[in-house]
Amino acid sequence: MYLKSTRYPVRFISFVTIIIGMLSSPCAMAAGSVSEKLVVYSVNYPLAYFARRIGGEHVDVHLPVPAGEDPAFWMPDSDTITAYQQADLVLLNGAGYAKWVDRVSLPGRRRVNTSASFRDAYIPVEQSVTHQHGPGGDHSHAGTAFTTWLDFSLAAQHAQSINAAMSRARPAMADVFEANYQKLARDLEKLDREMQRVAGQYADRPMLASHPVYQYLARRYKLNIESVTWEPDVMPDPDEWRMLSRKLQAFPADVMLWERQPLPETRE
Amino acid sequence: MIAVDSLHFSYPASTFRLSIPEFSAAPGEKLAVIGPSGSGKTTLLNLIAGISLPQSGRVFIDDTAISDMNDAARRNYRIAQIGFVFQDFRLLEYLTVLDNILHPYRISGALVLDRQVRERALALADSMGLGDKMKRHPDALSQGEQQRAAICRALLPEPKLILADEATGNLDPDNKSLILDLLFERVEAHSATLLAVTHDHELLPRFDRVVDFHDFRASGA
Amino acid sequence: MMDSLYIAWRYVTWNRGKSLILIASVTLIAFLPLALQLLLDESEQQLRSRATDTPLLLGAKGSALDLVMNSLYFDDSMPPRIGLDASEQVDASELAYAIPLYMRFRARGFPIVGTSLDYFDFRSLRIGEGRMMTLLGESVIGADVASKLGIGPGDSLVSSPDNLFDIAGVYPLKMKVAGVMERSHGPDDAAVFVDTRTAWIIEGLGHGHQDLARTGDSSVILQKDDDSVTANAKLMQYAEITADNIDSFHFHGDSSIYPLTALIVQANDDKAAALLRGRYQDHDSYQVVRPVDVVDGLLENIFRIKTVIDGVIVIVGLATLLTMVLVFILSLRIRQDEMDTIFRMGCSRMTMARLLLAEIVIIVAASALLCAILLTLVSANSASLVRYLLLS
Repeated sequence: MYLKSTRYPVRFISFVTIIIGMLSSPCAMAAGSVSEKLVVYSVNYPLAYFARRIGGEHVDVHLPVPAGEDPAFWMPDSDTITAYQQADLVLLNGAGYAKWVDRVSLPGRRRVNTSASFRDAYIPVEQSVTHQHGPGGDHSHAGTAFTTWLDFSLAAQHAQSINAAMSRARPAMADVFEANYQKLARDLEKLDREMQRVAGQYADRPMLASHPVYQYLARRYKLNIESVTWEPDVMPDPDEWRMLSRKLQAFPADVMLWERQPLPETRE
Repeated sequence: MIAVDSLHFSYPASTFRLSIPEFSAAPGEKLAVIGPSGSGKTTLLNLIAGISLPQSGRVFIDDTAISDMNDAARRNYRIAQIGFVFQDFRLLEYLTVLDNILHPYRISGALVLDRQVRERALALADSMGLGDKMKRHPDALSQGEQQRAAICRALLPEPKLILADEATGNLDPDNKSLILDLLFERVEAHSATLLAVTHDHELLPRFDRVVDFHDFRASGA
Repeated sequence: MMDSLYIAWRYVTWNRGKSLILIASVTLIAFLPLALQLLLDESEQQLRSRATDTPLLLGAKGSALDLVMNSLYFDDSMPPRIGLDASEQVDASELAYAIPLYMRFRARGFPIVGTSLDYFDFRSLRIGEGRMMTLLGESVIGADVASKLGIGPGDSLVSSPDNLFDIAGVYPLKMKVAGVMERSHGPDDAAVFVDTRTAWIIEGLGHGHQDLARTGDSSVILQKDDDSVTANAKLMQYAEITADNIDSFHFHGDSSIYPLTALIVQANDDKAAALLRGRYQDHDSYQVVRPVDVVDGLLENIFRIKTVIDGVIVIVGLATLLTMVLVFILSLRIRQDEMDTIFRMGCSRMTMARLLLAEIVIIVAASALLCAILLTLVSANSASLVRYLLLS
């Protein structure tokens, strides 16, 4: 979250760090669930976090993504898929997040697309060329941006879906789940307001992002973000620096968002 | 002892008439019955066995008037006291030799088949030279063996009277002699009476007496 | 009587050929109606139990019988298709939950049933060997499929081409067998289960191929500009989904019209079921049927046919009885000598009748035994026989 030779806004950055931390620190859960506990498998950390907040001690939340793997592009092995298949609930992010869910068999009834309620609010991204072959005619492999939870109002909708699914699965606990959800929703609402307040200070100010993952953040909080594809732990090559310089001429950003601390050399 | 007294018999709707004023045979006696075909030899055997009943006259075996008995009593008497030997053996092809010998015991309530009877059957067959053929079926035996099996069947109940109808008619000379020897031996051993219809005049000298149907005379041996 | 039975037994075994023919005739005439009844009872039980276990079926308008037979018993009847959106509509109603079924393809003669994992929960099917399918392109097979084809987990099955002349249409897909079901004594034993998406890949709606933007083989490219690439027929499409190429598999077109043959609709309760049926009563394209109603109608017809067959069997039975009487009369004539002999020996005419009765007792008893053995066999295998004879 540093741009060379610019002052960085500490508060904003700490804020985003928390959120990024939420999405990128997969947590392997310990086994040993009590049988009556609702066994929940999630595809990413935010959903797992929401599930734990809502379910509390009544749920066993699993996020079996190994450390160092990006849950969005990870492919589970057969045993892990089997574990997902046997869960009481499988929490999916939707919006094309975690492509692996489209390539495996998961039980439809216990699978919850937590963003189904705001499917219309997905942000499309063109990332592929159209091609044609065979009887199918023209087609392209276009997608949608999937980091939906960076819009805290949408994050609350994810949580609401989780609350509803858990209550359906354990009707006796519905009141507990609802109370926990209300608390979480208030927290998310607070975050949303805080974010709006902080982001208000940066309205229309050009910002760069190391990866194109801030679409929902930018839309909700009216931030002017453009992206490159830089890895925090890799020093960009001279070509990438040249392209950045060109980009900055048209888009004079003085803040850059990183999902992790970049290398000191990059910062320099 | 068999006795026939003033016996008259005719078949309905037939001109055949048989009249026997008197005729008797003592226990242990071996009688040959000869006469032309159709003269009534087999009819006499049927009357003596109680298979046919005379229009008049009586047939006695020992002191029992067989012609006076009712149907069931006559049958029971016949199976227990009279042994039949036929010209065509009348063995049942589907039974083994042993089962054929035991057959009368299996089809009549008048005879009881027990272990002793079985042992007697085996001993009898053995003495007739059939000891190793008991499990065979008749079609696996020679004619002589078949007739020996038939004689065993007739003799097993130890009857008082043996009625043989052309018993040697289908046999070669050696077997004729052998069968006759065996029959005579048993008749003597059990003091039974043998009444044998035959056309074989060469054998007549071996009988005690010959009953000639031609003029119905009893002639001494 | 025991002695009569002994003699009769000797007679029966000596005249083996005749006895066997008599036993066969009596057995057949007793076995046929009983076996038919047994199979009909079993088929009624099978048809009804599966129908009862399947509360509601949603399918395209058309023959309700085809829909039920295809969806419940995986027979060859091909009901018109519905779109995936039908499933979404049912789920969205919050009155019921829909389990998709897509039954169009076969693999080595066995139906490929595209469905979701919920189907296995719904039918209480358990994996006996191996594991549940996890990746696209994997299948789990019924116990009969495994035993008849001699395959198990780790082996592969290739889907049959839809039509030999359909060159442009359906590619055969080599499917990995992930697991074998425990025997359930129903149509599921003779089915190959795949994810609906795997079935759609067989259909050609989804496919995997070389990455056109990155391929180094320019000979597959017909035309290329900044926005689009057109490939020619040389483009290699994968006929098998593997860990290496699974990322290249993707679906095209509007997913809401992806085909299904039916939905098993599990209503939340009776009221929801009634509401749902009402909702689809006058629907333009869909019908919701209660399989048990359809099956009862079918059974009514089967039992009507059975009454006719029963009549035929009675007539054939009478003819057999008369033939048997004739056989015994002729047999008595052949045994005239035997009768004469035992009569002379001192038996009544009743003795022969007793022997004959004993012979009949033996033949009837042997027939009854044979019939019982056959019926036991039929009974033990009635489930598979019914499937083979009546439902396949």
